[in-house]
Amino acid sequence: MIKQIKLKEYGILIALILIAIILSIATEGVFCSARNLTNLTRQVTDIGILALGMTYVILLAEIDLSVGSVVAVTGVIAATLQVNNFGVLPTVLITLIAGLIIGMWNGFWVAHYKIHSFIITLGMMVIARGLALIIAKGASIGPTSIGFQKIGKSFIEPNITLTLLIIFFSLYLFSILRKRKKRSEHNLENPPIISESFKILAVLILLSLLGWVFCSEKGIPTPVIIWIILAGLGIFILNKVPFGRYLYAIGGNIEAAKLSGIKVKQVKFIVFTISGVLAATSGIILTSRLNGAAPSTLGVMYELDAIASVVIGGTSLLGGVGHITGTIIGTFLIGILSNGMSLMGIPTDWQNIAKGLIIVFAAWFDIRTKGRR
Amino acid sequence: MKRCMEKVNDIILEMKDIVKDFPGVRALDGVNFEAKKGEILALVGENGAGKSTLMKILSGVYPYKTYEGEVIIYGERERFYRTLDAQQKGIAIIHQELNLIPKLSVAENIFLGNERTRFGVIDYEQILVETKRVLKKLGIELDPETKIIDLGIGKQQMVEIAKALRVKAQILILDEPTSALSDKEIKLLFDTLRALKEQGVTSIYISHKLEEVFEISERIVVLRDGKTVGGGDTSKLTIGEVVAMMVGRKIEEMFPKEKPAFKDVLLKVKNFSVDHPFLPGEKVVQDINFEVRAGEVLGIAGLMGSGRSELVTALFGAFPADTSGEIYIRGKKVKIKSPYCAIREGIGLATEDRKQFGLILQMSVKENISIAMLKSLCRFGIIDEIEDRKLTERFVDELKIKTPDIETKVDNLSGGNQQKVILARWLATNPKILILDEPTRGVDVGAKVEIYKIMNELAGEGIAIIMVSSSLPEVLKMSDRILVMKEGELKKELNTIDATQELIMGFATG
Repeated sequence: MIKQIKLKEYGILIALILIAIILSIATEGVFCSARNLTNLTRQVTDIGILALGMTYVILLAEIDLSVGSVVAVTGVIAATLQVNNFGVLPTVLITLIAGLIIGMWNGFWVAHYKIHSFIITLGMMVIARGLALIIAKGASIGPTSIGFQKIGKSFIEPNITLTLLIIFFSLYLFSILRKRKKRSEHNLENPPIISESFKILAVLILLSLLGWVFCSEKGIPTPVIIWIILAGLGIFILNKVPFGRYLYAIGGNIEAAKLSGIKVKQVKFIVFTISGVLAATSGIILTSRLNGAAPSTLGVMYELDAIASVVIGGTSLLGGVGHITGTIIGTFLIGILSNGMSLMGIPTDWQNIAKGLIIVFAAWFDIRTKGRR
Repeated sequence: MKRCMEKVNDIILEMKDIVKDFPGVRALDGVNFEAKKGEILALVGENGAGKSTLMKILSGVYPYKTYEGEVIIYGERERFYRTLDAQQKGIAIIHQELNLIPKLSVAENIFLGNERTRFGVIDYEQILVETKRVLKKLGIELDPETKIIDLGIGKQQMVEIAKALRVKAQILILDEPTSALSDKEIKLLFDTLRALKEQGVTSIYISHKLEEVFEISERIVVLRDGKTVGGGDTSKLTIGEVVAMMVGRKIEEMFPKEKPAFKDVLLKVKNFSVDHPFLPGEKVVQDINFEVRAGEVLGIAGLMGSGRSELVTALFGAFPADTSGEIYIRGKKVKIKSPYCAIREGIGLATEDRKQFGLILQMSVKENISIAMLKSLCRFGIIDEIEDRKLTERFVDELKIKTPDIETKVDNLSGGNQQKVILARWLATNPKILILDEPTRGVDVGAKVEIYKIMNELAGEGIAIIMVSSSLPEVLKMSDRILVMKEGELKKELNTIDATQELIMGFATG
């Protein structure tokens, strides 16, 4: 599965790097300053977290249009709880449960009544936005408590950040060595040392880059840490847990999956539930960072950015093919475009046109690399 | 030059030294091929021999420059960049899967994309008149206004042929045209081909079914591993000789049957009925009673639509309609509501349509094999990759699955090897009862024998096998007992010793 998407992933990665270089030159270095990159990373987490769930949904050849509105309604719920002096933990838990229930609702209809998710989640998109407006009585709600604001605004201190990065790299190195040892114990061929070393080197460079970006400022932003953990978990489930394999199987051939004893309904239900919970997570982070929630503007168009990130990242809308690594790159690509164009003073309207073009271009590239069939 | 051409003017098609490479494989390796005007030529070979690839070059699916060699039609070198170019030179291909629009009429389908218009409005009457003329030429009685959806597969195929002839095809390529046809429909098809021959149309007939090839063709060309390995006038060849050319070795025993030793009843089905998925009150399977013992191969014969596949799919909990009756496994009454339950009870089902219901084409050989028993490969909920690999490698080895690597996408394998992957998937679940629906459809001769061998080995290990098959020789040679179904009912249970093809057909149709 991994081999097939490599070329496409590299294509997107190269595009990302090229755009980054162009933006750095165009903004005379402002773009690639540690401060801007830290900001950028924090900005993309909202979409990034939604896109993780969206990857699962699209792998099943489904779609979730409700995530933007779910961000709004969960954000409003969190803000309302905060205004009513709920503690941080109860606020977070209740909001997550709200997201869970919305996700279960979507999953229930899609899985058990086989109604196309486009319709079900389109309905929820409107319902959730309406709920948000009703709960908030049409007005913005805030402020939130200082404790709650920490979720979206705080940083992990530079020295802890550095320690985390070093621990991460050691774990990575350890897991590779362990895998090689186990493979050779079972007489399985190992990938050549050279290519493996290159991979390790690439990870080391990436981590050093992250270390430089985050440590020359205030450390790694807390939401980014949350995103990294969720993404890691997402990748792990896709690769190492039967549930992940089932996603590819169902998206690839739903009939064959059913006949292989996979509980397709259950898997669909869970995936939409995950998407709902992740949308609530994003809603919490966003409300915390903005110190309140505005029901009519919060999370508007987020579903489109999330879908675009997934598709640009190489996940096929037909299901069965794709990966979270691609989605993360896609998220950054979209984030960088917004950020870079804002730095260059390009008005939002033009930014939207550029974003739209990139999405069309990515889809075209997707078809091209797959070949005609 | 001109005189020279006149001398050989009955040769209308030549393909010279055709070489075609795919990443990692040479599909065609210097193939030479020619066809005469008005002949019915059979192109045979095992799956992966290169028949389809060759025909795709001829019909412009693989454009000029993606292959080496020359395509010469009426003495002229042709360069087809797309299928339309080939069509304009009179080459039409009828694919295995038909490309008709079900809700449109016969006439509308035949003239699709080529509507006759007057002042921009479709002249429906003109289309009807022309359709009638084409159908008459083919010797088919068919109302041009019938909707495709109301026609049987055989008639649909005729419509495809009519569509090809409307564009004045001189060379008609038929890729496995009879795989879904009944005997009567096959006869009709053959009559049509002969009528076309009279009109000077050349037919290139691709098929696995050698009996048919010998009935219809005048000349046979055999491909093996991308090379032309032989052939000649059909009247001077025997089936045995052609098979030997196809596989490159003699197949002594097509059906290696080992002596059975039956033990206890593994599966017992009592008064089993299956509702019709759409029509309330109707049943697709009615009051079936049978049992299968450990180590036994039970064959289920019957025509298409006799309820064979519906019966086995319903037993596996995968038929989208209600069932009634009782199922006992090892004497214990069970309820099978879904494939998940069936697998837990030790049943496996390899469906008849591999691509639609079996394989997950984007996934690797490994992932396809372990998908139905993934949970037993887990440690603390995490897939044990080493165990996953070992399992797959064991089956690739045991079933002799030809694949470059277990990470290869299953889409890249030949039909026979894909079928073995499906078998491996079910064997990996350790089934007690294995249901095989058309286990050798679309599988080449060599792999067929291997699949039969595997079935016998499994029976020898005490697995009960239920085999649904349209091939009567296969049913007769492989099964110990035979059930004949007709219109959803069990017509007759036969011991193989007493059964003949005629007897089975009698019960299936009479």
